[in-house]
Amino acid sequence: MTGQSNAMDSFADGEERITDHLELLATMGRDFAASLDIDKTLARAVARITGHLDAAGGALFLLDEAGETLRCHACCGATEITGMTLAADAGIVGRCVQNNVGEVVHDTTDDPGFNPGVDAQTGYTTRSILCAPMSVQDQRIGAIELINKRSGDALFTDDDLHVLQTLASSAALAILNARMAEALVEQERVRRELELAAEIQRSLLPEPGDDSFPVHGVNVPARTVSGDFYDFFALADGRICFNLGDVSGKGMNAALLMAKTASLYRCLGKTVPEPGRLLAVLNDEIAETATRGMFVTMVAGVYDPATGSVRLANAGHEPPLFHGRDDTFTAVPAGAPPLGISPSPVPGVPLPENELNLDGGALYVFTDGVTEGFVDGGDTLEVGGLKALIREHGSATIPVRLAAVIDRITRGDTTLRDDLTILAIDDGREAENRPVGNETSSEDGGEVLLALTVPAQAGRLKQVRGAVAEAMSRCPCDAQTARDLVLAVDEACQNVIRHAYRDEAQGEIVLEIRCEPGRLIFRIRDFAPPIDTGRVRPRDLDDVRPGGLGTHLIREVMDEVAYSAPPGGGNLLRMVKRMP
Amino acid sequence: MKHEVTERAGTTVVAFAGDVDLQNSPQARKVLLEAVAGEHPVLVDLSGVDYIDSSGVASLVEALQTARKRDLGFALVAVSESALRVFQLAHLDKVFTIHGTLDDAFADNR
Repeated sequence: MTGQSNAMDSFADGEERITDHLELLATMGRDFAASLDIDKTLARAVARITGHLDAAGGALFLLDEAGETLRCHACCGATEITGMTLAADAGIVGRCVQNNVGEVVHDTTDDPGFNPGVDAQTGYTTRSILCAPMSVQDQRIGAIELINKRSGDALFTDDDLHVLQTLASSAALAILNARMAEALVEQERVRRELELAAEIQRSLLPEPGDDSFPVHGVNVPARTVSGDFYDFFALADGRICFNLGDVSGKGMNAALLMAKTASLYRCLGKTVPEPGRLLAVLNDEIAETATRGMFVTMVAGVYDPATGSVRLANAGHEPPLFHGRDDTFTAVPAGAPPLGISPSPVPGVPLPENELNLDGGALYVFTDGVTEGFVDGGDTLEVGGLKALIREHGSATIPVRLAAVIDRITRGDTTLRDDLTILAIDDGREAENRPVGNETSSEDGGEVLLALTVPAQAGRLKQVRGAVAEAMSRCPCDAQTARDLVLAVDEACQNVIRHAYRDEAQGEIVLEIRCEPGRLIFRIRDFAPPIDTGRVRPRDLDDVRPGGLGTHLIREVMDEVAYSAPPGGGNLLRMVKRMP
Repeated sequence: MKHEVTERAGTTVVAFAGDVDLQNSPQARKVLLEAVAGEHPVLVDLSGVDYIDSSGVASLVEALQTARKRDLGFALVAVSESALRVFQLAHLDKVFTIHGTLDDAFADNR
């Protein structure tokens, strides 16, 4: 009876303890769920567990991220060891974590794995240990260790271990949840920062002009931030500077280099309206500081709505497409390597430039994200597809045309592979407003300062210079301007000799200089086959033929430069110099 | 246009005089490229040049680029105001090293 009674007592006692365990587990669960501060909650949990299992002390160890060190995050009772660190395999707790198995050690002196170092530090004597690992699936988090059972025979039981293991599992889950929540908060912070970066990037792009403005651009980033950029702005004289670039790579590093390059362009573009020289300056600046082999492909240009002419420099970028009024397409190839690869061999030498007259057509500059973008059916758009889209929407306004291109790709390419950027310079509206009569002689009045016809030969240039210098001495211009004008006329005649008559030393040049109030008008006529002024004419300083550099000098000196085909054949160059 | 090539203190001195224009620049180019094909640094004396055009400037740029590739010194000397103006219009005035006189050029290199 007695035995039975004892058994009953023991049963009743056991039942009560199980209820207690569940109670504790529930309390801990509630505590973890409501907690904002995981460290405080863990400290409370350790105190509760230590009290519940009647141990002299308890400690909770967490494994660091590298899995090399165990650190005491919370403890209670016998000794204060919060912050203490141990090697991940040191002592009973280390063994327990490594094997991921709970342990009951009745007598530490019998266990060769026991680490007496801690007792040596604290002055406390650890006799028995109960230790349960904290892990979730295979992920090891740490362990809870209790020391020196106080009640009964002062020995921890297997039941105690079961209870501790249950509590440890619950704590492990809570710790993992807290860590995941922390990671989410961090992710959210990074996402917000990316969005701020994207906002700043968008602010680097120009404000869209109204539909009548001849230059428009679109940028659609593949990720939050973009490595592409474009910009355009009008100069005081009415010309419009534009650029479009693509930084190698994607993501934050590309975005930062994009921001730098776009800012440099903004800053320098207004003072250096010569695209070749501007890109040379940008190249040296980027090459000096660019890291990890990053580079920038870029097209920079200046468009003159008054004449339709475009000066263009291309550093390793996709060839821009010129869509002429006659519905033909011409690609304008790159004349130089991308920016940032290496400093120019001779600093200050401009990149080669192309010059073309849009003459009512449109120029499209775009990144490879456009031509390599997926369209319906999994094919890439390619240059051919782009041309077809431009033709299809040719009668629409430029913003509508660009939107059609972007729509075609964003519809087919559900997750964009690359940033999409496209810029268009449309001369159509400007060309309609342009007076067509400026090639007829009757328009220019004033006093004729010089009328000279000479054979188109290099040997005659000295004579031309002398005649122009003499004519300049009869008009109110200073010596410096006079010399500049002599040079410009010489260069214009050289172009006729070299490019119109192609060095054949036959044919004539007719030169006329008129003086009107406030301006000098120079007309240089030849009788060679018409040169196609709309055709792309390269200017390359490596190529030492004088034509390109000469054209540059003419434009530096003169205020207006226009070619036309006069009645009766040949070519007419009309140049105007405004006088104060 | 006239030209003269002399040696002074281990340096090749190329002097031009007259107009360096489309008619003469092929000759100027030939002389310059021969000079930078040698083993000595090159000074180009432009004190006698009244007029230079884009073809003359282009020849000098080509010679400069060749000299740079071969690690040879290359500088201009005594560029007249009117010639300097052409370099400025071409934005090439900062590209070339320009000395006031031949003596300055030798003093600077010492």
